[in-house]
Amino acid sequence: MPELGELVRSAVGAAEAGEQVEAYADEDRRTEVSALRGEIEGMTFAGSVGLGVRVIRDGRLGYAWAADPTLEEARETVRRARDNAALAEPDEHNGLPEPEASAPMPEIFREQSAAVRADDKVRMALDLERYTVSRDPRVTKVDLAQVGDAVSHVAIASTTGVDAAYARTDAWALVVTLAVDGDETQTGFSYTITRGLDALTWEPVADEAVDRAVAMLGAAKPATAKVPVVLDPFAASSFLGVLAGALNAENVLKGRSLFAEMVGQAVGSSVFTLVDDGRRLDGPGACPFDAEGLPSGRTELFTAGTLNGFLHDTYTARRSGRGQRSTGNAKRGGYRSAPGVGTSNFFVDAGPRSLDELLTDAEGGVLIRDVSGVHSGANPISGEFSVGATGLRIDGGAAGEPLREMTIASTIPEMLKGVAGVGSDLRFFSSVGTPSILIGEMTLAGV
Amino acid sequence: MLDRALVAEVLAAARRKGGDFAEVFVEERSSTSIRLDDATVEELTTGADRGAGVRVTQGTTYGYAYSNRLDRDALLEAAAAASAALRGDAPGPVVDLSERLGPGTNRAERAADTVPAADKVAWLREVDEVARGVSAEVVQVTGIYFDSLQRRLIAASDGRWIDEERPRIRVVAQVVAKRGDVIQTGWDGPAACAGVEFLEAHPPRVTAERAARRAVTMLDSIPAPAGEMPVVVANGCGGVLFHEAVGHPLEADAVDKEASVYRGRVGERCASELIDGVDDATIPNGWGSYDFDDEGEPARRTELFREGVLQGFLQDRLRAAKMGVEPTGNGRRESYAHPPIVRMTNTNIQPGPEDPDEVIRSTARGVYVRGLGGGQVNPATGDFVFGVSEGYLIENGEVTTPVRGANLIGRAIEVMSSVDAVGSDFETWEGVCGKDGQGAPVGSGSPTLRIARITVGGTGA
Repeated sequence: MPELGELVRSAVGAAEAGEQVEAYADEDRRTEVSALRGEIEGMTFAGSVGLGVRVIRDGRLGYAWAADPTLEEARETVRRARDNAALAEPDEHNGLPEPEASAPMPEIFREQSAAVRADDKVRMALDLERYTVSRDPRVTKVDLAQVGDAVSHVAIASTTGVDAAYARTDAWALVVTLAVDGDETQTGFSYTITRGLDALTWEPVADEAVDRAVAMLGAAKPATAKVPVVLDPFAASSFLGVLAGALNAENVLKGRSLFAEMVGQAVGSSVFTLVDDGRRLDGPGACPFDAEGLPSGRTELFTAGTLNGFLHDTYTARRSGRGQRSTGNAKRGGYRSAPGVGTSNFFVDAGPRSLDELLTDAEGGVLIRDVSGVHSGANPISGEFSVGATGLRIDGGAAGEPLREMTIASTIPEMLKGVAGVGSDLRFFSSVGTPSILIGEMTLAGV
Repeated sequence: MLDRALVAEVLAAARRKGGDFAEVFVEERSSTSIRLDDATVEELTTGADRGAGVRVTQGTTYGYAYSNRLDRDALLEAAAAASAALRGDAPGPVVDLSERLGPGTNRAERAADTVPAADKVAWLREVDEVARGVSAEVVQVTGIYFDSLQRRLIAASDGRWIDEERPRIRVVAQVVAKRGDVIQTGWDGPAACAGVEFLEAHPPRVTAERAARRAVTMLDSIPAPAGEMPVVVANGCGGVLFHEAVGHPLEADAVDKEASVYRGRVGERCASELIDGVDDATIPNGWGSYDFDDEGEPARRTELFREGVLQGFLQDRLRAAKMGVEPTGNGRRESYAHPPIVRMTNTNIQPGPEDPDEVIRSTARGVYVRGLGGGQVNPATGDFVFGVSEGYLIENGEVTTPVRGANLIGRAIEVMSSVDAVGSDFETWEGVCGKDGQGAPVGSGSPTLRIARITVGGTGA
C-alpha cells in the first residue's frame, strides 16, 4: 500500500494541461468492542484506505473514488474523474482554492490512545457492562455496552499547491440500558466521545444510562397542552442537524433554507448564540484544515439571536460573491464523497444558568430527555417540525413524573425566538454540542 | 474474486481458536451517481469499492475484522484479529468449499453499466422539465440517478461458497414549491434490484410529476391537528409503518436481548385479526430481495402475522442457533465493512377485502396519510414516531384540506391491534433502513389501512 502523501501526489501528478486536480486520501483504523451478559458480544477491527479525486476542466467538475488503490489505480481514478467532468455542466464558480497555511493541531492525535492494546479494549468493554448492570436492581441488562476508538490519517494535495496532512484519534463509550419493572421495560441511552481511549471515563456514561432508563419507569401519556419545555443536551442536540442544513450556504443559494433572507435579523432570542469552530479542541470534529485543505476556523452563525451568515466552502463562497470567503467548512463523508458544505464542531454556546434554574422557570412544563423522528418529522425548508418525545414533568422546580408517547411541535424560527434560557452544561455528541435549553412554550400532544 | 485455496487458508486461520464457524465475505462494487440540480449536472461520481471481512463466532459472540486490501497478508491479518475475540485454543475444521447456486431473483435485463452516462443524464433532465411543468410554483428540482453492481462472495467453514451479483437502480425527484412565504417539498424515488428496464415500468417523468404534485399540494396545507383520532393510511405507506413499528421488534437480536415487546408472544394475537404480515426476500427484483442473505442463507418468505397472531421472528445464523430454530435468511450487512445483523427485506401487510374509497367514506373525521417521511421505533417499548410528509383532513368521509407538520406516535401492539379496516389496493415503497450504523435497502408494502385511534402530533387546534 502506498503512503497517503505519495498516493495523493501521484494522483495530482496525473493532471493534464488546462485542468485542476485535487486528490484526497484517508486511512482509518478502528476498533469497536461490545459486551453482553459478562461476555464479549462483538469485536470489530476495521482497516480502510481510499482515494477521492476532483477534476475541474473548463469549469466542469467530475469526481471518482477508489478503495485501496495502487499508484496506477490512483492515476486511473483521475482519468475516470476527467471522463465524468466531460458530462457535467460548466459552472464558472467551480475551482480549487489557493493554498493557505493552517496551524497544526498536534493535540488531536494522542499517541497513548493509538497504543492501547486490543486486550485492554476488551477489558474496558467488559468492565463497562459489568458496572452498568450493578447500579440498580431494575437494570440487570444492557441493549448495548460498547467501547470504540479510531485512528485516522488524512492527506490532501492539489494542482493549486495544496499539500497537507493530519492525524487524529477518537474514542467513545456508548451504553443503552434496559430497566424492567413488572411488565414494563424502559430504555436509557448515554454516550461520550473524547480524544483518546486513555482519556475515556466511562463510569458517568453507565450511571447516566441507568438513571435515564429508571426515571422513565411508570411513564404515562400526558394531556395535549401548550407548556414551557426544557430540552436537555440529548434532546436539544437532535435539532442541530436541521439548523446545520439551514445554515449551509449551498442550501441558501438553492433556495432551500428558511434563513435565506434573514441575515442581519434578530431571528432568535438574545440568549441564543450558535457557533461552528473547527479548532475547538474539546470538540470531536476538531481538525486543522477542511476537506479542501483550507484552515478550519471559528464562525459565529448567530450572535445573541442575530443571524450573521452561513457556512461556506470554496464553491459557495465564490458563487455568493460580495467578497465572501470560505469559512473552512468543506467536509466529506470520507473518500467516497466529493466535498460539500458541512459542520466541524457545531454548538450552541453555553449560557450562565444551571439546569435547576431552568427547571424552576419551566414550572408545570416538561423536561424533554429524548426526541425521535427529527430526520423525518422536520421540514428543513419551512422549519416546521413535529417529533416524538419522552421526558419528565417539572413539578416544584424538579423533574418528576415520567411522560411518554407524546409529540412536541413548533417551527425552528419560533423555537429560536422562544429560547428563554441557556444552561452552562454544554456537551458534545459526535460533532454537535449543546447545553440544556429552556423554550418558553411548545405544543405538546398526547391524549 | 478470490482463489478458493486462499479463502480456505483464511478460514482455517480464522478458526485457530475454534468457535462455531468462520466466514469470509468479499465484495466488489462499482457505482454511478449523478445529481442534477437547478437543471445542471452538479456531480457525476463513479466509485470502485472492494474489500473483505472475516467473522468468527462462538454462541452469540463474534469477532469481525475487515480490510479493503485483498492480498494474502491483509486477509490473514484480518483472520487473526477476528479470532482474537474467542477464548478457545483448539482449531476448528474447514469443510471443502462447494458452490451453491441461487434462483437468480435479481436478474438485470439491461445492465446499467452498458448504458452511456449521457442517457442517464437525459433521464434527469426529463425529471427537471416535467417537475417544472407541473406548476409555476415549482422553484427547485433535484434529480438523482443511482446505479450499482455489487458482486459478493460468501464462504464459510461449513463449506458454503456463494457468488452472487446484485444490480441496483434508483431515480429520485426532490421538488421544492413556493408561494409567498410558504415553502413545501415533495419527494418520490422508486427503486429496484434490476437493470435500466426498471425505468420503463417506473419512468422518471412519473417520478418527477408525483414529487412535484406533492410539493404543490402541500402549499395549501394548514397546520395539522393534535390529539387522538382515526387515521387512514394510504396504500404503500402502511408498509413503512409496519416495517418500523412492528418489524424492528420482530428482529431476533432485539428479542434475544430481551429488548422486544414481542418477546415470548409467538402464538398470541398481537395485531388486529385483519393483519396478515410477511417478510419476503424472494420477490423478483425487489429492492430488498436476494438469492442468499449476507451469511449465505437462502432467501425466504417468512410469515410474521396470520390473522393478527404472531408466527415468529426474523433470524440470522447466530440468533437462530441460540433459539434452536431455522435461520430465516435475514442476516444482512451494508458492506464488507460491517458484520451481518438481523434485518428485514421486503416487509408487507397483505391486501384485504375492502374498497379503499369506502374505508375513507366510512371515516367521519380524522387524518388521511398519503406520505410518510420515515420514522423511528424503540423496539424494547414499542414506542414509535413517524413524520407525515403528505397528509389531509378527513371530514364527513371525504379527504379535504392538506395538513402539514404532522406526525404519528403510538405503541406497536396497541396501534396494530386497532386497525379496523384493510383495503384491497396493495402498493410498495422502497427505502434505506438504518440500524446499528448500517444502511440496508428495504422494501415495504401495504394496502389502505384504517387505525381506529392513534395520536397525531401537530401544531393546530
